[in-house]
Amino acid sequence: MSDPAFLTIAEASKLIAARKLSPVELTEAYLGRIAKLDHLLDSFVTLTAERARYEAKAAEAAVMAGQPIGRLHGIPYCLKDIYETAGIRTTAMSKLLADNVPARDSYCQEKMAAAGGVLLGKNATWEFAHGGPSWDVLFPPARNPWHRDHSPAGSSSGSAAAVAAGFSPATLGSDTGGSIRGPAAACGIAGLKPTYGLVSRRGVIPNCFTHDHAGPLAWTTEDVAILMQVIAGHDPEDPGSADVPIPNYEVALTGDVKGLVIGVPADWLEMELPLAPATRAAFDAALEVFRGLGATVRPVALPPLQQFDDAKRTIAVAELFTIHGQDLRTRPELFGASLRYRIIAGGLVRAEDYIQAQRLRTDLARAMQKVMATVDLLMLPTAEPAGKLEPLPPSALFTKASLTTPFNVGGNPALSVCCGFAANSLPFSLQIVGRLFDDATVLRAGDAYEKVTPWRDKRPIL
Amino acid sequence: MTDAPSQDEIVRLARQAGLDLPPAYLDELVEAYGHVRAMVARLPAGRPHGDEPAHIFVPQKFLPAKE
Repeated sequence: MSDPAFLTIAEASKLIAARKLSPVELTEAYLGRIAKLDHLLDSFVTLTAERARYEAKAAEAAVMAGQPIGRLHGIPYCLKDIYETAGIRTTAMSKLLADNVPARDSYCQEKMAAAGGVLLGKNATWEFAHGGPSWDVLFPPARNPWHRDHSPAGSSSGSAAAVAAGFSPATLGSDTGGSIRGPAAACGIAGLKPTYGLVSRRGVIPNCFTHDHAGPLAWTTEDVAILMQVIAGHDPEDPGSADVPIPNYEVALTGDVKGLVIGVPADWLEMELPLAPATRAAFDAALEVFRGLGATVRPVALPPLQQFDDAKRTIAVAELFTIHGQDLRTRPELFGASLRYRIIAGGLVRAEDYIQAQRLRTDLARAMQKVMATVDLLMLPTAEPAGKLEPLPPSALFTKASLTTPFNVGGNPALSVCCGFAANSLPFSLQIVGRLFDDATVLRAGDAYEKVTPWRDKRPIL
Repeated sequence: MTDAPSQDEIVRLARQAGLDLPPAYLDELVEAYGHVRAMVARLPAGRPHGDEPAHIFVPQKFLPAKE
């Protein structure tokens, strides 16, 4: 058996069920790597080693007792440090929450624990999943394991870095404008922003209520599907939660994409946000793989990117101010400069402007679903390869166009997978977008692509 | 978009929002508000009265959880 720290969830799960791998051994492999190497990446802000060892022993005992176990039984995982964890500090990377110890687990943590998962710890994020990277918040920013002087993107930065580095096979992040998919892209792993409402946000510290999504990141799409099976489902305590049947996501991974119609938002990629030549080449090569598997590809026209950004960002700045207004009024110095800049003007947004932005969202979401009715999937890059880890002008949040935000506005499921490597070894990314609540087809396509390409065979060397 | 507000006007708007900021943060606010105004100015206006925003109220979402 290869180093257990580099097993996928699917592989480790089978070995655990066959009693060929102990959850204790697996957990120790990850804890050992974290202890030895995480000082290079700062991907964890809190390590729960003692608890992990206890949970791993309990998982092992259940296996040896012949108790029925699921796919996540004995599998280590970590959580972005905005998921509330009972008795474990949850900081959102902010000095404002330096001593915040929740009394109750988030919905997702409850599900992960009930499935037999082993919690390794909490991952670095951008402050409140919105402002960063920052050097003036509670912890240093995470680094990209492919190049430590490069950014893992944000805001689920430590989550993606930890999975890529072999510190954990699974993690949960959040995505309000691209915060699962961007880090997954930068770190060369798989990350899914599920359909809005499919995964409960209860107990996830909010960024922007109307656009927040909770979702999984892992090395492969197959592992993302396993995680989705655990965390998807209706939660009456989340007003945005959808009461819909949950399919078997693993069974959906047939490898067959023959006949699927793939739309490419050509105007976005050619006119509004032209891709770098190497990124375009990697994207075209990925589309060619799908053509080779029997899918057809054609251009589609969507509303301009800027409309999606304007609607989302106007809504977000107002909602963020509502969440953080009291702290901005009384102790603004405790915010990192990046986050403070990005939310402080939200107090000056008029109610009329907020509602006009919500009306625009209605238009855009309808336009998105109208196009999605003509194709099975959309495909586009998630982002350009990662840039240097350095302070970004905080104004970038207001001015930089995004290829991920439109699917927060529409609520559609969107997966980022690795589609190759640039000359400097940083990953290229492919974003696969589906119809509302058809996350299974998105996962099927991502899994089929990964199984016929070599990109899952290469890991970063620390 | 109407003319950019003066710094004094922004200070007044900030105070209405309960923000009585020290000078350094006020400069941040003035710059950030410029970006927000530009975004807001691009939002379509003059809509029909019945255009629904995306955050409509769904009362079933607030029923107590079943035991």
